[in-house]
Amino acid sequence: MKVNNLHFPQRIHAGEHLGAGLSLKPEHLDEILALPLQQQSKNNLWFEVHTENFFVEGGPRLNYLSAIRENYHVSFHGVGGSLGSDHKSMTAHTKQVKALIDKFQPSLVSEHAVWSKSQGKYFADLLPLPRTQDALQSLIDGIDCYQTGIGRSILIENPSNYLDFISDMDEPQFLVEAAKRSGCGLLIDINNIYISSKNTGIDALNYLKQIPSDLVGEIHIAGHDEDPTLGQSLLIDSHAAAVATPVWKLLEQALELFGHVPVLVERDANIPSFDELMSERKTAQNYLDQCEIKSSSDLSFTEVMR
Amino acid sequence: MSTEQYIDAFAQYLRNGDSTGIEIFCENSSHINRLAVYRNGFYKGCIDALSANFPMCEKKLGAERFREMARLYVDHFPPEQGTLVGYGINFPQFLENLFSDIELNDKESVELAEYQQITSDSYTNLVNIAQLDYAWLKSLMSADSNGTLTIENVTELLEQGIELTDLNVRLNPSVFLVQVYENAFSEWISLKTNNDDDLYETANVSFVMLWRIQGAVQARLLTLAEVALMQTLLGKSKPLSEAFEAALTIDENFDVSDAFTACLQNELLEIKIN
Repeated sequence: MKVNNLHFPQRIHAGEHLGAGLSLKPEHLDEILALPLQQQSKNNLWFEVHTENFFVEGGPRLNYLSAIRENYHVSFHGVGGSLGSDHKSMTAHTKQVKALIDKFQPSLVSEHAVWSKSQGKYFADLLPLPRTQDALQSLIDGIDCYQTGIGRSILIENPSNYLDFISDMDEPQFLVEAAKRSGCGLLIDINNIYISSKNTGIDALNYLKQIPSDLVGEIHIAGHDEDPTLGQSLLIDSHAAAVATPVWKLLEQALELFGHVPVLVERDANIPSFDELMSERKTAQNYLDQCEIKSSSDLSFTEVMR
Repeated sequence: MSTEQYIDAFAQYLRNGDSTGIEIFCENSSHINRLAVYRNGFYKGCIDALSANFPMCEKKLGAERFREMARLYVDHFPPEQGTLVGYGINFPQFLENLFSDIELNDKESVELAEYQQITSDSYTNLVNIAQLDYAWLKSLMSADSNGTLTIENVTELLEQGIELTDLNVRLNPSVFLVQVYENAFSEWISLKTNNDDDLYETANVSFVMLWRIQGAVQARLLTLAEVALMQTLLGKSKPLSEAFEAALTIDENFDVSDAFTACLQNELLEIKIN
């Protein structure tokens, strides 16, 4: 078994001071900058961006990120790294990611446990890997390449599954093994687990229970939609709707298992008003606060019992 | 079977819709139709990016026709970088070649012939409009200027007794020159502003300069003398005197003083300040 060397600082829990965050959307910039800072800092509000959207040399896009970064923590979430394939082109990619990291000092950096490039072509989607030993090694090599390129460890996100491909192991096993052997952490997307459970019949709670809490550095929640043709039998990870009730429930269960982990409310399409997103973010923060209260009361109870 | 074989088969499906190769990797044969989610996601991502990068082109053609052309472009030129920012660098060229020398399969040729017949008006100026859209995007995303030459700098230099015409300057990185038909430029502006009051009738070929100031991209037609001045300073530092001479060679009445002031006001020039 190949074990990759860790020669970069591990930052799995670098976001533990963060509360609930939001996807940063340019249309909300003015409202974000007008927020009362003291209150938001108390609430640990933070923002996540898709790293590749900032692969620009200069101009207003970088300026608006700078304006946000002056007052808030940010997280970089990559969608084009293709950790599972085509590692030859990784260096050019990570060079740009590193330049952004150096400039904006994000609290968290993440990517996906998927492939998106083959033979020099980029397929602009998060494509699933087969869960085989061979694919696992390819993923680990990709993570190693990425982490070496940017000089720090990352979190990798579980994909949403629409059908099952051949596999030697289940997904939690695959991800945990990748994390342990590459030194990365995990970004657990609760909506993706929920979607996968509905589409492929896995047990969502059992999935969460197989993830060691010390590997989890971030949680995502988002909305999904039914496939226009196949309806409820196929849920699509659209990020175009509000977070669904069962996903909130699963978030609550995840926080009970993992403890305090920064939670991001993702929205990438059908963007609602900033107030609406902040309201969803407040719900996520409430779950985090409840988790804090519960863990401190559990602690007090343990002390009394002693 | 290896991961490489799986990815090759998956990529084949994404490119041409043939699922034969990938089917053997699927555990449940009744779910094979779900592969379409990934293919749709690939095309949607690319087409949405082209729509964002060529907004006036889409406005001119209408969303449906634009998306069909964009889909053809994705078939022939899928992205090669792990980002869709700036995707479509040769989309204008693709449009230009669309009805001539590009290798299209029979079905595509028939579809395009139908478009051409029904909507030939829609294609007038289309290539130029795509070129202007892309230049606008490039200008917006270009590097910030290091050492913009300002009116204050010029005042200081004059106080130090420095001859301005000896200054080595160049255009800032956001400046792009695009050669288009004048009526294409006026149509592009009218699409951007929703105002067709000033549409040109002339079909002269001219240069349009696009540049970014205070985060917003500007565009205007240049005279031949202005083109000579700008081309001298594009991408390389040259003495101002050389740029002025190039302009005066084209038009002996060219007012270099006015042009220089306009360059300063529009933050077009960069100077290495020690």
